[in-house]
Amino acid sequence: MGSSARKKKEKKKDFQKTKLKVGKTKAKPDNFTDTSFKSKSITVNQQSLTTNAPSSSSQFSHYLSLASSSKSDTQRRDALSYLTTQLASKPVNTPMPLPTAIILPKLLPLILDGSASVRTQLLKFLRLLPDADVADRAESALLYIRAGMTHLAAEIRSDALAVLEWLLEVADDDVVACPGGWVKTLKSFMSMMGWAVSNTTSKWTAASKASFGKSGKSFPKQLLVLAQFLKAGLVEVQDDFSVKAVRTSWPMANSQNFMIPTSSNAFAHLNLFGSSRDEEGEMYIDREDRQRVFEKNFLAAVNTGVEIAKKEGGEAGRAATVLAKVLKEGMADYSAVDDTQ
Amino acid sequence: MGKKRVGALEKVDADLANLQYKIRRDPKSYTEDFLNQYGQYQSQRDIFLASPSTATSTGIVSFRDLIDFVAHVADYFPADTASFPSDLKTILTLHHAELESELREKIVGSLVLLRRKEVIDSAELLNTLFPILVQTPSKTLRTLLFQKILSDLRTSNSKSINHKLNKTIQTALFNLLTSDRASAKGIWAVKITRELWKRQIWTDSKAVEIMKEAALADNEKVIGGGVRFFLGGDKEREELEDESSDDDAPDVGKMKHQIGINKKSRKSKQKLEEAVKKVKKTEKKKQQPHPLNFSALHLLHDPQGFAETLFSKHLQNSKSKLNLEQKLLVLQLVSRLVGLHKLTVISLYSYFIKYLTPRQPSVTSFLASLAQATHNLVPPDALEPLVQKIANEFVSEASAAEVASAGLNAIREICVRQPLAMNDTLLQDLVMYRKSKDKGTMTAAKGLLSLYREVGADLLKKRDRGKTATMGIKAGSIKERRFGEEEVGGIEGLELLEQWKADERKRKRVEKGLPEELGPDEVDEDSEDEEQKGWENWDAESDASDDSGGWINVDSDDEINISDSDDDKPAAKKVKLDTLAGDEEKENTDKDQVLEQKISKLATTKILTPADLAKLQELRLEASLSKAVGKPSSRAAKLKALMDKHADDGLTAEDIELAAKLRKTTKEERVALAREGKGERGEHKSTQALRRAKKDSEGKSTTNREKARKKNFLMTLGKAKGKGKRSLKQVSGTLKAHVERSKRGGKRGNVGQ
Repeated sequence: MGSSARKKKEKKKDFQKTKLKVGKTKAKPDNFTDTSFKSKSITVNQQSLTTNAPSSSSQFSHYLSLASSSKSDTQRRDALSYLTTQLASKPVNTPMPLPTAIILPKLLPLILDGSASVRTQLLKFLRLLPDADVADRAESALLYIRAGMTHLAAEIRSDALAVLEWLLEVADDDVVACPGGWVKTLKSFMSMMGWAVSNTTSKWTAASKASFGKSGKSFPKQLLVLAQFLKAGLVEVQDDFSVKAVRTSWPMANSQNFMIPTSSNAFAHLNLFGSSRDEEGEMYIDREDRQRVFEKNFLAAVNTGVEIAKKEGGEAGRAATVLAKVLKEGMADYSAVDDTQ
Repeated sequence: MGKKRVGALEKVDADLANLQYKIRRDPKSYTEDFLNQYGQYQSQRDIFLASPSTATSTGIVSFRDLIDFVAHVADYFPADTASFPSDLKTILTLHHAELESELREKIVGSLVLLRRKEVIDSAELLNTLFPILVQTPSKTLRTLLFQKILSDLRTSNSKSINHKLNKTIQTALFNLLTSDRASAKGIWAVKITRELWKRQIWTDSKAVEIMKEAALADNEKVIGGGVRFFLGGDKEREELEDESSDDDAPDVGKMKHQIGINKKSRKSKQKLEEAVKKVKKTEKKKQQPHPLNFSALHLLHDPQGFAETLFSKHLQNSKSKLNLEQKLLVLQLVSRLVGLHKLTVISLYSYFIKYLTPRQPSVTSFLASLAQATHNLVPPDALEPLVQKIANEFVSEASAAEVASAGLNAIREICVRQPLAMNDTLLQDLVMYRKSKDKGTMTAAKGLLSLYREVGADLLKKRDRGKTATMGIKAGSIKERRFGEEEVGGIEGLELLEQWKADERKRKRVEKGLPEELGPDEVDEDSEDEEQKGWENWDAESDASDDSGGWINVDSDDEINISDSDDDKPAAKKVKLDTLAGDEEKENTDKDQVLEQKISKLATTKILTPADLAKLQELRLEASLSKAVGKPSSRAAKLKALMDKHADDGLTAEDIELAAKLRKTTKEERVALAREGKGERGEHKSTQALRRAKKDSEGKSTTNREKARKKNFLMTLGKAKGKGKRSLKQVSGTLKAHVERSKRGGKRGNVGQ
């Protein structure tokens, strides 16, 4: 019965009073819970102690950074929609809260964003930006657009096309004339539409196995955007501003040519400071240049593609007819120029 | 980013690994898909190049994965991906500092992969990686690059030595060291060279030249690396070689046995075949002639100049920033060079003077270096003050026992190498310490005494000289050695060969029934035949059969006779030998008892056949083995071995401290020393069990006794029962048979032995 005796003792122990001793700290009760803790950092719950609200410009930049770098896609979308409303509700002649030069580089990567709502919201925002500012940054925008056009996800591809459409509306000249803007973009089109030509000439003409392009709905859209792009690059614009400027009196006749250029980086085509460019990355400022390169590299592929699309009929066929018309118009005055290269 | 719903087809698209697999199976059909991915790669690359520091990889597939994918299938589309390697190279060289670390590693890995697929060649890869290795501030990248560079050099040298590549890399390393001597970047050249030297990929003098430049650099780290290489690089190489030869081949016998027992499968069969192949390969490797590897110190071009510059630049120069430890290393190298190549750097000895006091930190290292720097061509005038100083500072009754023994040891080590550095008064004084109470001092003094009994007995007092030395002096066989006098050399082990030949001849003659000794006018036909056989063997080995016929004719019979009968009948036929040899011969006969060795004339009187040379090698090996086992050898041989020792391994401070250390051992150390090599006795077991375990581990079987002891007793019951029922006659019969059997030595008996 030893165990029961021990149990009795233990039971008794619960009710024994602890003896208090002089000079000793009071013993802790049994049900005492240690609530002290250690922490390497202190988190302040209340982030701002100022009572007055932040200024609208600082809030704008805050949302801008949220839109560009937040991890959650709803947060990005909401921030973008905030920026959109801010820009839309701005009185007509007031300056932008932040210059476009700061806004654009932060938001352009969102073209490749995984969430569809973010991308549509981005397009809405972009449409609000002043045209002149965008034209200067067409090159950097094109970088992301091209990445979007060759992206794996079909949705991103179609949205990138929408952005390109917008850019063509806003700054068609800059799009086709900026470095890499003509050949590289055309190449992206070719690969997107499955008209790509390999460097290695093989006798095999195999249909795509892993099926990248030609998802039925977006194909007519692609054709239309390509038509728009080719129109910007190949078809001559009739009413030029320069024609107007020339009509000045005799002594000032050529003065336009000797003024400080109005566009930024007017001598970009000389490429004085950058690294050397190859055929793809080169600037094609003249229409003739573009025609030549297009004829040399892409015309055949595009023609066969158009023929096939025409035969398909329906929406795609109609779009192909539009494209064919643009092609005819653009290459009409192109006579196989002496190809010195 | 939340979960994204993707359609089945799109899933396949995003799955680069899947696409890669498909492309490998059928590159032509998937060209278009590849081009799409490549286009994506190009646009991502453009974005990246537009702003390398801020670009983040977003989207489903990151830039990194695209690079990886393209690198894996680039060899199927050489025309499309022509610019891919150069893209990677420019990204890496221009932006390596600001790249995200994972992307950076991926790019390096992809470049190496391209090299393995032979899209780019080794030189191109190394020329890209090496400048980055030197420049980059990131430690992880450096280790990665170092590893990749080494592995690439190893693989490109694995089948055959890639001289061209080695030369370009060596030149790059050399230029790195010489272009800016003060920079720490040279350490990479040192590291790479040392590693490749260790693995025996670089064994030429160019690598040594690189290390020489490193040792002469201005940066402490680089100097340390270079000097350490010379002091320890060869040892490291040998150790690695031993290690690699240790990993033994699989046990084929065991595998065969297992196949016989276990279930037969194709897999096990293949395994066996592989094992057999491996074993054959290793055996082949073993039988291959050992590649000649000279040590770094021997491959050095112009050691005199190197030693002088090292000494004047790092040691004598008061502006040199090296600390004591580094200085000691340099000093060790200089003295090693001086000792090994017998160089003359006179100012080196006076440099030692101020460091030879007992209070100097790590003075034993200095003493060891001094002894190392001594050789028989050092003028005694340069050494005498040093020996005097050591004696004054270290060796006295008042100084501590360790100090005195260290001093005496150092003096002995110096005098082994240059006996003329000692004068008689000092020597007689030092020898008196053999009566010291301290064991270390006593042994050291005795060592000095025995040394001078060999090399300069006339400096000792008469009663200290010992019997052999006294007799030698009286007979005139021990002469005072002059400065610069060289001993007459011979071929190592030649006397052994001669001895062996004589024995063989005697044995043959006994077999034939002739008297052991050769008669004066008998022509030794045996040896002639033997001679022929030796050369025939040579013919078989080499293909030059036409020329060798002439070779045999060169040996005239007379000469052979003379050379073979040297031991027995020297006086009879000396006419044909040249006069000088004849004189020596006469002297030899005079002093035959006194001299332990004489120079054999075998090599000067006849041409050794290949068979002879093979035998010579064998005898040499045997002799060295017996020496290692501990057969007593002559004192003179011991002395010679002592003198040659520093050629292979340098003298260390431990050698100087040796006696002092011996005394200081604690009980634990001594117990550990005694236990060493006696095997592990982890748990408490009987001796029998220990023996059994040892046998088991060696794969040996049990003895009959053990089997009997272990036998299940139920199995023995029947026999035991039967034993009880035997008749008296049967019992006596078995007993008799048992006695008989034990006399014979078991069932089978040991009659044959």
